[in-house]
Amino acid sequence: MAPRSAVFCLSLYLLVIVFSVSGTVGVSASSDDDLVDELESLQSKSPSGVIHLDDRLISRFLTSVKIPRPYHLIIFFDASSLRSKSELHLPQLRSEFAIVSESFAAHHRGLPSASKLFFCDIEFGESQSSFSKFGVNSLPHVRLVSPTTRSLSDSDSMDASAFSRLADAMAEFVESKTKISVGPILHPPPVSPRQQAVLLLALLIAAPFIIKKVLAGETLLHDSRVWMAGAVFVYFFSVSGSMHNIIRNMPMMMTDRDGRPVFFYQGSGMQLGAEGFIVGFLYTLVGLVLAIVTHGLVRLKSVTVQRGMMLAAMVVVYWAVGKVISLDNWKTGYSVHAYWPSSWK
Amino acid sequence: MVAPVEPKPGGTLRNAFGGVLGFFILLLIGVLAFSIRLFSVIKYESVIHEFDPYFNYRVTQFLTKNGIYEFWNWFDDRTWYPLGRVIGGTVYPGLTLTAGTMWWILNSLNIPLSVETVCVFTAPVFSAFAAWATYFLTKEVKGIGSGLTAATLLALVPSYISRSVAGSYDNEAVAIFALIFTFFLYIKTLNTGSLFYATLNALSYFYMVCSWGGYTFIINLIPMHALLCIVTGRYSSRLYIAYAPLVVLGTLLAALVPVVGFNAVMTSEHFASFLVFIIIHVVAFVYFIKGILSPKMFKVAITLVLTVGIAVCIAVIAILVALVASSPTKGWSGRSLSLLDPTYASKYIPIIASVSEHQPPTWPSYFMDINILAFLVPAGIIACFLPLSDASSFVVLYLVTSVYFSGVMVRLMLVLAPAACILSGIALSEAFDVLTRSVKLQLVKLLEGPLSNAGDTKDENSTAQNDVLKADKQVATNNKTEDVKERPSKKNRKKDKENTEKAPVKSHNEKRLLALPLEASAIAIILLVVLGSLYVIHCVWAAAEAYSAPSIVLTSRSHDGLHVFDDFREAYAWLRHNTEADDKVASWWDYGYQTTAMANRTVIVDNNTWNNTHIATVGTAMSSPEKPAWEIFNSLDVKYVLVVFGGLVGYPSDDINKFLWMVRIGGGVFPHIKEPDYLRDGQYRIDAQATPTMLNCLMYKLSYYRFVETDGKGFDRVRRTEIGKKHFKLSHFEEVFTTHHWMVRIYKLKPPKNRMKGKTKKPKPTSKPLSGARRDGSTKKNPWQ
Repeated sequence: MAPRSAVFCLSLYLLVIVFSVSGTVGVSASSDDDLVDELESLQSKSPSGVIHLDDRLISRFLTSVKIPRPYHLIIFFDASSLRSKSELHLPQLRSEFAIVSESFAAHHRGLPSASKLFFCDIEFGESQSSFSKFGVNSLPHVRLVSPTTRSLSDSDSMDASAFSRLADAMAEFVESKTKISVGPILHPPPVSPRQQAVLLLALLIAAPFIIKKVLAGETLLHDSRVWMAGAVFVYFFSVSGSMHNIIRNMPMMMTDRDGRPVFFYQGSGMQLGAEGFIVGFLYTLVGLVLAIVTHGLVRLKSVTVQRGMMLAAMVVVYWAVGKVISLDNWKTGYSVHAYWPSSWK
Repeated sequence: MVAPVEPKPGGTLRNAFGGVLGFFILLLIGVLAFSIRLFSVIKYESVIHEFDPYFNYRVTQFLTKNGIYEFWNWFDDRTWYPLGRVIGGTVYPGLTLTAGTMWWILNSLNIPLSVETVCVFTAPVFSAFAAWATYFLTKEVKGIGSGLTAATLLALVPSYISRSVAGSYDNEAVAIFALIFTFFLYIKTLNTGSLFYATLNALSYFYMVCSWGGYTFIINLIPMHALLCIVTGRYSSRLYIAYAPLVVLGTLLAALVPVVGFNAVMTSEHFASFLVFIIIHVVAFVYFIKGILSPKMFKVAITLVLTVGIAVCIAVIAILVALVASSPTKGWSGRSLSLLDPTYASKYIPIIASVSEHQPPTWPSYFMDINILAFLVPAGIIACFLPLSDASSFVVLYLVTSVYFSGVMVRLMLVLAPAACILSGIALSEAFDVLTRSVKLQLVKLLEGPLSNAGDTKDENSTAQNDVLKADKQVATNNKTEDVKERPSKKNRKKDKENTEKAPVKSHNEKRLLALPLEASAIAIILLVVLGSLYVIHCVWAAAEAYSAPSIVLTSRSHDGLHVFDDFREAYAWLRHNTEADDKVASWWDYGYQTTAMANRTVIVDNNTWNNTHIATVGTAMSSPEKPAWEIFNSLDVKYVLVVFGGLVGYPSDDINKFLWMVRIGGGVFPHIKEPDYLRDGQYRIDAQATPTMLNCLMYKLSYYRFVETDGKGFDRVRRTEIGKKHFKLSHFEEVFTTHHWMVRIYKLKPPKNRMKGKTKKPKPTSKPLSGARRDGSTKKNPWQ
């Protein structure tokens, strides 16, 4: 049923487009202002001022408008199906795009230049035909449609290598193509003012209690078990290579070509998040089991329980160590082997 | 790794026997630590390794030749041309002075070793010292058994071996010993409250400051521990004695080292110690007042003291904050900052991020570098908390901080290694202790079973026997704790009273518990021994295969035997014999130290990366087309350019692989060099798809000049592709020397042309015969096949 309804929708869209095209042709003189007004109203609906386009709006504002158009459109090409691919950084770039848009709006509020440039985005799933009109076949992609652009595929695209510089590069791109200055980028503060106030208030309220507790010597800090758990956790966190994941922005896992999740990466220079945590857990597990046997199990009275738990512990330890060794062997190709003098071989 | 036999004190004789046995075990551990590091000498030769050690070697040579005063004032004009470098004031002199002293002592004993030999063997000797220091440190924490186990583990730990094989003559070689020894003395002072050890501690800290920039780790860790003790209510006069003299004496002594100087009081790395210094005085004062006043008066006084104290603290903190905020990097050096904020380096300091040892490690690195210790450490942590003492809390803190730092930079795995050894030693020793005790007790029960007939008597008998053993054990542990706590008891009577009160209760408890089932314990012992042997096997393998390569001489094993690549020394020797004494050689900074030490020629930049602009200049020259590059080099009076090229033999860490860093560092200072120009769609490639900028830059040309003549196709074995531009001529450089396996190629800058008019085309008369000769060599079969 779904494909048929899609076809139906599409034909409906086509109808709408045909009507709107005929409409714009009919009243083209006043339509420039109308279009700008419409864009502005769309813009005001979105919190960051980024207008969400689809096939209908593309034709309304771009293809069916008499050239030169009264505005530039800068379009961010998004695809919700690809957002999970961490190497494309789509969500991050999209939020940077919104920051540029907000900065632009903030610097040009009330000025005539505010209606010269509009920030838009378009999603692949719902507007595939527009993607093909633009000739976009790889993401991330940012395009600027200037007033004089005739064919959408001729519009200026931003250099792919510049995406690493995020908002600044986008602003530069806009400036170089439109001659409209975006102005300094307004990065949102990491903690918003309201959050700051709440935090400060919470701290103020808590302060007397904390001080009282500290003076009485009853804080969590005085409980050595908390310290022990903390120490073991830091150990687990570091040994699992989490710092590597943070610094390198590694994803928890990848998907292979068939869409199946991949948790382990072969090759020693890199690791995935889940992989690190699994092995870190195994590292820590063995130590904890050993500690339980040496410090906890000894205190038990029942010999049978002791025996059973020790056997279980040994099986677990044996399995964990063996697992790490085999994983390491798989990942780096190194296996534990002896070094003999050559004459002994 | 064998569980050390812990002697049971039954009488003075047994005690003495245990002492002698312990001494010999320690001696053997020392021998083990020394000898496992000799693989590099046996497998290769007695030669200095890698890059930095060559600089240290050169400095040591200078020191032994010219004496300490000359060394102190040494201005080196052979490097960083035309700037030069003040060596005396910019190196950590500890290593050099140590090796120089060793050489001097040996020579005055009429043992005529060369400076190089002494330098090669410094690291193994100090590894033995480090193992002994580990023994003493762990002994202070958990007793002799743990000490011996930890020392054995440290003697073998691969992470430390990687920095201390014979020939690896670098600061870390002595610094790790100094680090552990300083910690030991701190713990010793903390346990005894003796000013003697406190003074020794400051001196040992001074030696550490002399040796390695990592001393900031100590001066932050010890304050952290002092603060932790205060916060958790463990303040004692011993803590004060352990901490206050160290800060005062240590800071004064540290300021004596030229390379540290006023940094010891001016940079943020040291501020934590001063802050804690103030806090500990406030706390000490409060305790003092508490001691002389009645409880009621004390309440009045404490409000007074607290207000004054807090006011003073706030004032000092405000001053510190102002000081810190006024400096551009907030008072922190780039390397320290990249530890606190791990993403800092990759964002702002490409030159730090570019070094492979500054990369964050992945989990296999831990398995490679500390092997099974990674499994044992959590058990050690828990053992340290049962019960928690000042000493064991310090060890845990040391582990936690170092394991975090090691997660940021793989190089700091070295600092983690001793901590991991200590905690694993504790864990292993305790595990063996429990298991062997169980076996022993159960065996006694088993043997006695058939002897006695009546159930009642048997039971009594065995329990009696049990109790005797228990008492024996108890005496042993009590002895141990008393040993440690004896002296503090004079000063902290109250605390000790608590201890002695607690002890009997505990011993009652312990009498009941004890043993695990016999057969399970036996299997567990076997498993632990197997685990330990895995460690030994891995360590020996790592020492022999992974970490012994001197990297100045390379070998590869293939089906037709062993191949040796001695191209680096060949090239440096060529430079030494065929160039003028004051010629300048340009290369990427990695090869600076080696060039000055082995070729004795002036270099533009070297591994002491103190001047980013200068490095960026060289990077820019390498990334520019021939003519601008020639102009840059000519302006620096460079005569020869040296590039390292691994494409023929498949040596992966060559200049082409490092090239993007040259571009990045160059582009950081000279914006006309842009990284995207060298990348095709974000990919770094040198084949036909490469960008024209890449194919025309100097590095490409110098690396691949005439490369196509080797196999007719120009197939690069590192990049596994055919090169993009195969046939080209050099207009401003001429090839003067290429080593046997093409790993080092040396080019000479052509002299500037007299007149531009009527260009006289010289057909490179000098290079022809040479290159012809090379061509013969190059058509040889590739040694890697």
